[in-house]
Amino acid sequence: MRIDKEDLPVPDPEVTAANRAQNAIERGDFLRKAAMLAAGTCSLAVGAAATVSRREAPARVPAQPDGADLDNPLERMRRELERALRKPMEERKWVMVIDRQKCIGCKACTVSCAVENDLPPGVVYRPVTEDEVGQFPHVRRVFLPRPCMQCEKPPCTPVCPVTATYRRPDGVVVVDYDICIGCRYCLNACPYNARTADFGEFFTEPAGREAAGLVGEPATAYEHRATFEYGKSRRREHGKERSPMGNARKCHFCLHRVENGMLPACVATCLGGATLFGDYGDPASLVHELVGSTRVTRLKEDLGTEPSVFYLA
Amino acid sequence: MNQPRQEKQADGLSRREFLGSSAFVGGMAAFASQLVGCRAFREMNSGAIGSYALADPKNTLYTTCLQCHLACPIKVRVWEGTPAKLTGSPYSPQNYLPHLPYETSPDQAAPADGKLDVKGQSGVQTYGDPYRLRRVLKRQGPRGSNKWRVVEFNQFIEEVVTGGKLFAEIGDERHYPGFDEVYALRDRDLARRMAADAKKVGAGTMTLAAFKQQYSADLDKLIDPDHPDLGPKNNGFVFQAGRIEHGRKELMKWFTHDSFGSNNAYEHTTICEQSHHIAFKQMTGKTHMKPDLLNCEFVLFWGTGAFSANFGLTCMAEKVTTGTISGRLKTAVVDPRLSNDAGKADWWLPVKPGADGALAQWMIRWILENKRYDARYLANANKAAAQADHEPTWTNATHLVKIVDGHPLQRMTAAEAGVGSDNEFVVSHRGKLLAVADDPKRPVEGDLLVDATVNGTKVKSAFQLLWDEAFGRTPDQYARITGLPPRLVEEVARELTSHGKRAAVDMYRGAVQHTDGFHTGCAIVTLNMLIGNFDWKGGLQVGGGHWHESGGKAASIYNFKKMHPAKMPKFGPPISREKSRYEDSSLFRDAGYPAKRPWYPFTGNLYQEIIPSFAQGYPYKGRILFLHKGTPALASPAGDKVIGMLEDPAKVPLFISSDIVIGETTMYADYIVPDVTYFERWATPHATPDVPTKTSKVRQPVAKPLTEEVEVDGERMPLCLETFLIAVAKKLNMPGFGRGAFVGHGDFHRSEDWFLKLVANIAVGDKAGERVPDADDAELALFRQARRHLPPSVFDETKWKRAVLPELWRKVVYVLNRGGRFASFGTTYDGEYMKSRFGKAVHLFMDDVAGQRNSLSGKFFIGYPAYRGQYDSSGKPLDGEGAYSLALITFKEPIGGQSRTISNYWGNIALKNENAFVLNPVDARRLGLADGQLARLRSTANPQGVVDLGNGGQKELVAKVAVSEGIRPGAVAVSWHYGHWAYGSADVIVNGRRIVGDRRRAAGICPNHAMAVDPILKDVCLTDPIGGSASFNDTFVTLTPAVSS
Amino acid sequence: MKPLGRKIAWGVWLALAAFGTWGVYLRMTTGHRLANYGSYFPWGLWVAVYVYFSGMSAGIFLLSMFVAVFRIRPLARLVRPGLFISAIALLVALLSISFDLGHMFRAPEVFLRPNFHSVMTLMAWLYAAYFPIILVALWLDLRGDPSLHAQRDDASGGQAREPARQRGERCLRCIGWLGIPLAVVFSSGLGGLFATLPAKPYWYQSLYPVLFLVGALLSGSALMLAVVSAGQRFQDEEGVRLRRILVRIVLGLLAFDIIIESAEILVPMWYAVGPEYHLYRTILFGRFAVLFWVVHVLFGIAVPLVLLIAKPCCRWAAAAAGILIAATFLAVRLILILPGEITPEIKGLREAYADPRLSFSYVPSTFEWAVVAFLIALGWAVFVLGNRTRLFRDAGTVPDKA
Repeated sequence: MRIDKEDLPVPDPEVTAANRAQNAIERGDFLRKAAMLAAGTCSLAVGAAATVSRREAPARVPAQPDGADLDNPLERMRRELERALRKPMEERKWVMVIDRQKCIGCKACTVSCAVENDLPPGVVYRPVTEDEVGQFPHVRRVFLPRPCMQCEKPPCTPVCPVTATYRRPDGVVVVDYDICIGCRYCLNACPYNARTADFGEFFTEPAGREAAGLVGEPATAYEHRATFEYGKSRRREHGKERSPMGNARKCHFCLHRVENGMLPACVATCLGGATLFGDYGDPASLVHELVGSTRVTRLKEDLGTEPSVFYLA
Repeated sequence: MNQPRQEKQADGLSRREFLGSSAFVGGMAAFASQLVGCRAFREMNSGAIGSYALADPKNTLYTTCLQCHLACPIKVRVWEGTPAKLTGSPYSPQNYLPHLPYETSPDQAAPADGKLDVKGQSGVQTYGDPYRLRRVLKRQGPRGSNKWRVVEFNQFIEEVVTGGKLFAEIGDERHYPGFDEVYALRDRDLARRMAADAKKVGAGTMTLAAFKQQYSADLDKLIDPDHPDLGPKNNGFVFQAGRIEHGRKELMKWFTHDSFGSNNAYEHTTICEQSHHIAFKQMTGKTHMKPDLLNCEFVLFWGTGAFSANFGLTCMAEKVTTGTISGRLKTAVVDPRLSNDAGKADWWLPVKPGADGALAQWMIRWILENKRYDARYLANANKAAAQADHEPTWTNATHLVKIVDGHPLQRMTAAEAGVGSDNEFVVSHRGKLLAVADDPKRPVEGDLLVDATVNGTKVKSAFQLLWDEAFGRTPDQYARITGLPPRLVEEVARELTSHGKRAAVDMYRGAVQHTDGFHTGCAIVTLNMLIGNFDWKGGLQVGGGHWHESGGKAASIYNFKKMHPAKMPKFGPPISREKSRYEDSSLFRDAGYPAKRPWYPFTGNLYQEIIPSFAQGYPYKGRILFLHKGTPALASPAGDKVIGMLEDPAKVPLFISSDIVIGETTMYADYIVPDVTYFERWATPHATPDVPTKTSKVRQPVAKPLTEEVEVDGERMPLCLETFLIAVAKKLNMPGFGRGAFVGHGDFHRSEDWFLKLVANIAVGDKAGERVPDADDAELALFRQARRHLPPSVFDETKWKRAVLPELWRKVVYVLNRGGRFASFGTTYDGEYMKSRFGKAVHLFMDDVAGQRNSLSGKFFIGYPAYRGQYDSSGKPLDGEGAYSLALITFKEPIGGQSRTISNYWGNIALKNENAFVLNPVDARRLGLADGQLARLRSTANPQGVVDLGNGGQKELVAKVAVSEGIRPGAVAVSWHYGHWAYGSADVIVNGRRIVGDRRRAAGICPNHAMAVDPILKDVCLTDPIGGSASFNDTFVTLTPAVSS
Repeated sequence: MKPLGRKIAWGVWLALAAFGTWGVYLRMTTGHRLANYGSYFPWGLWVAVYVYFSGMSAGIFLLSMFVAVFRIRPLARLVRPGLFISAIALLVALLSISFDLGHMFRAPEVFLRPNFHSVMTLMAWLYAAYFPIILVALWLDLRGDPSLHAQRDDASGGQAREPARQRGERCLRCIGWLGIPLAVVFSSGLGGLFATLPAKPYWYQSLYPVLFLVGALLSGSALMLAVVSAGQRFQDEEGVRLRRILVRIVLGLLAFDIIIESAEILVPMWYAVGPEYHLYRTILFGRFAVLFWVVHVLFGIAVPLVLLIAKPCCRWAAAAAGILIAATFLAVRLILILPGEITPEIKGLREAYADPRLSFSYVPSTFEWAVVAFLIALGWAVFVLGNRTRLFRDAGTVPDKA
């Protein structure tokens, strides 16, 4: 089979990125050889060219995910989670690593969290902020998911007048809904705005309630369903200002899921694979690996709060 | 006076340390921790986290989402009968990478949650929307007055089947047609004969007189006896579906085509991205391909991306982010607006809106000029040559095309060239003509650039046509048209051609929702073709496909194509004149060019054209419009133009709508039948080609239906589309429903009679030996337990079992317990190729297209990728921007869909409570607008910036300005998801009682209502005459400061 | 008071009471749903009102106790009304903060499971100590009241109670020695409640406790000046002298307050750069400008200054100046508290999740004002009622004929 040399795509090595230049040159060489072989117009040459052609792609990037060898990071983190749960609580330290380059600003985490914890209007545990950097046409878009930092030195716990909020031995800062008096001091004390208060509102009220009443039984059961934060079943009901209504609320790394062997809701759903979670007390864990990255930063490091949430810049 | 301490230190840290060590505080803390109550409390709360009821497999069901058309397999955690939490299914390759082996038991899968985007997560609020419809509503005032009365279901069926003076009660003495009247032609054999002869009349081979004589007794069954080729009166029934998916789609056609005998069943694809499908289809025969993102080294996203809408975000995003971080993958994005993808990409090409085709041509030109195409691949003229090169595909780039009167008309046949037969084409191989044999043993290669005369006929190779087209403009001209710097375009073109087969160009609606969408789509497919990446690992793939639930495969049990007891022929063109040639109709022979409205031989599901055609009565008058889960008034460009048509019973005689909430178009209906959400019903959606493994998804009832439970023919079932269709069909005694509906396979009384057969086909697979295992007793028990909250009208095991052969039941359960069937991840690749392949020819030259004329102008379409700018329905270039200086483009945020997610307070409303005019600071300054200021959108089509809703209602096109560097000057971008005037945002009156709307749902604007109207047709938006796509991105607008109302 | 004035006063009180009752009814039935504060702006009007009244309470208490402890005879007549008003202000303050709590009936938790590291706990416990001290002091002062004794003496027919009276005074002084540091700690501690939060740079400054203490004294003294100037029974010679001294005290405190406030504002703004510069610009020229310049500077400082300096002897000028300073001091509290909450801790939070509760701006709702109206009406009513009983007449006056 003859191939016209003039038609050959010969990549320009100068402009090809360094790590790709090798391959491009190989390809160029191969094509030149193939062309010479083709000059013989021998059917054998066809086979030869084809054989070389098959070789061509494997030669470029050797370790390609190809099925079996591709590990699902969610599966790995779940395995690590189960391993960590077998240890006493004091020996594990839950941390989260958020790769901002992988965050695509889809906000699935924000909503996954809201649904998981059946959050009412105005209560948000994990908003994602957006920023546009640069000037047209050189503009970048960056996102910052902001869960609770679960600080090692949390500014929010010492201000609580009733010890309703405290840091657990595994590093998670929690709120005891049955004790919190709703003074919102902790909201002001948090340098990340990571706490919000439950003011007892419902999305479907008041407008929706009437509509639901007319056409049948209320469809808004989701707003009144039991939630399982901190492993305790609670129900938000209209007119009854029962906890968590009236309380300060915050991200708790989905402890009720974690302690039942599941990843936090935001981690499980992160579409870009940007949010990772695990036990920093386990040197073999994925998060332990990532916290050692040169890209690692934490928010407002200068305050000395020592967050358990690490960002990869 | 006591002076408080003044030791404030410069450094906050030392201050804190000071405080921390202060004896006072320390002492107090010690005191506190010694308080008995305090300590007891801490200990009590230190470890005890209870078990998590939602994680229990008994509270978990698998189904398929429908918040967008990606249709992710989901895991629904049910609590107290209601969907409580939704996550992606870990069995699903769209949501878990790699996904769990299919054999994993539901117990083991319980703690594993897959990914799901905002829309999917918010589905809980779609189900629990307080504005959902429960009972049948009948209007109590003029159409659109939003005054309703609840009617009993059976009464409603009686009324719409019988017809008559249906609205006499409100003083309207008009006759409304019923189904009985429209269902005129019922005799299948007669229909077949008439159809065949009418076709002859259309083709001119039979005279009208002869036809009339032959069928004199049955002429009253025709919609237009003077044009019998327009079909029977049955065509007066139009089933227009917005979002309908496999399973239901087939049922729509079973009802409309096969049983009722109407040729009018539609989806919404042209307002989505149809031209992209048609470009792929004409060039490859496949309608959709995606990059193999797991192995690509470079992807150019064109008018789309992996991080927002597309097909889709959930499955594509992680492949791109991990690829980018690992250094394997580089990306570039073509989009006038900085999308999230563009904001993260290596290159952003902020092209001028509408210049995508020119940009593609420019890149083609550069690739050709610099010889960076895969010439070896392109030279292969047939399969044998491709196989010899171990290329899965080949092209017709070398085939010779006849140029007739300057128009490249058809490929020359070997017979014409004198080198072979009629069904062979011709190439020039080093100057010698060769027939392109369809012979696996005879490889044929051709010269790429041929411009010659053969037997007196001017010919060019298809590649030569592309070359001439691409070189028809200079880089400077291209730079002016596209508004892009040459260096950037060259860089990206070079990158695309620097990775062998491991690069791809992905496109979606941004590139093709233009009047030249088809040709732009073709040019983009051509960019892929130039590197010959089809079926290669890291190239463009067709996806893993699915097991064929409709049957017809070797192992299938139920072949739905053959099970209908009395299938009516398709007779007459669809009212939108899609998939039909004007030249084949008797109308053409009467009137010639121009046709009154365009005909669309290459495309289908021409959503925006249905109601205007219906109202204009061209080619025939519609009688009953049934709109299911669609909202053309909101979602089509210039959709507001249909409001006036829908309001007029003379134009749309009976208008029935099926919807879950009173929507923007539903509100103009005569009757609304409540439908259920995707949590309460069945379907068998297909997977995106991004999924490289075989995937069959199943949607099934997982929550208690919120609609009224009704009785049809002794069967109790929830109100929904299926219930409506079954009830109407039974009332009409239509074949294909009720007793003996499925030839050899029993009756069709209930939804599951239909859908479980589809599931059974999936369970047995396409080929012998592909059957899934039987569910064991434990799985069977789980199957029952997990459905304990469903009422007997939905889940009655005996009735479900009855729908399929007994030996298939446990297999069906196995599939239902996993929400579908998913091939394992290991089946993705075959060496350097995708395992699932397309493996056919790519048509650079498309004979079909080149041989067809525009039905308005009578001029030929161009049969290869070309750029001619934007034009109207007759092919005339559009007027420039005139007084309107901003090019309007639209986009979707990842937080919502276009029309049905505004009920999602968590997603669509909380994440962004209104949309805005995204405007470059340069334009903002020029127009005197500041960030956050309210502005009004105006265009030639809507100079006032107001949508007339009829009945005195108005919706103002006013929203805030968002000044951003992330958009090219001269363009304004507006997202969808907002600007509702119904869907729970406005007050409605039912049974005399006012239901107050939720104003949060009315925020923002819908940009569609400023979009250009076709200057010839004047009642519909601009449309791609070949691909059929509605033009969303070719309107010039302006913004003026507005005052908040 | 003249009948017309009385009618107006009644009318105003009734309006406040009706408006206030509506507000409290809504507070008890709808919780916080009608309030405009939220999660990013957690503390609003009610917290400011709490700080305002508890500061005022401490200020008046301090003034009264100084008088008692150091036996400043010319001011002796301030003690009992001072203690009385101080108790009312404290009551109002504590009610205000309890309305602000998400779970007001859980307030006792502060005593059941206190966290003494929290300034708020310290405040609560200090109140717990301070409120009884006021009451005891009041009781002791009453015990030493010659008019009361006079009646009893008449009844018992002798002067035998004199030693008891002196014992009472001694006890009062002891209580004063205890109460003064307590009141100093808690009025400056109110500042500490804010000043100890590194998260809020606007609050996080050592000047805050001082500012709060001076503010407490100033607002308390100003209110007492108003009471002394307006009260009919202070118009004797002794009363006039008392007023003149009070004028000087108020002027002195005002001057001192101006100095520290100037320091607070000028230091971070001086070079027009730095983290707090824009925040102070917002206060001076942005959305707090009216509150700052008109309410605080014009009516709270400039007008009173002019009145007190130009007409130092005029009873009505002093009354007006006193009431102006005292009333507009709520603006000072608002300016000290609200701006601390207007800056998102993380850029872009405002846009990240949309809800009225997730706003960084705040204007009190009508409902919130209604609750405040209730508090004022309540305080006013208690004051008037108390004023009518013989118990709370000031010690130095011969009782009206009764």
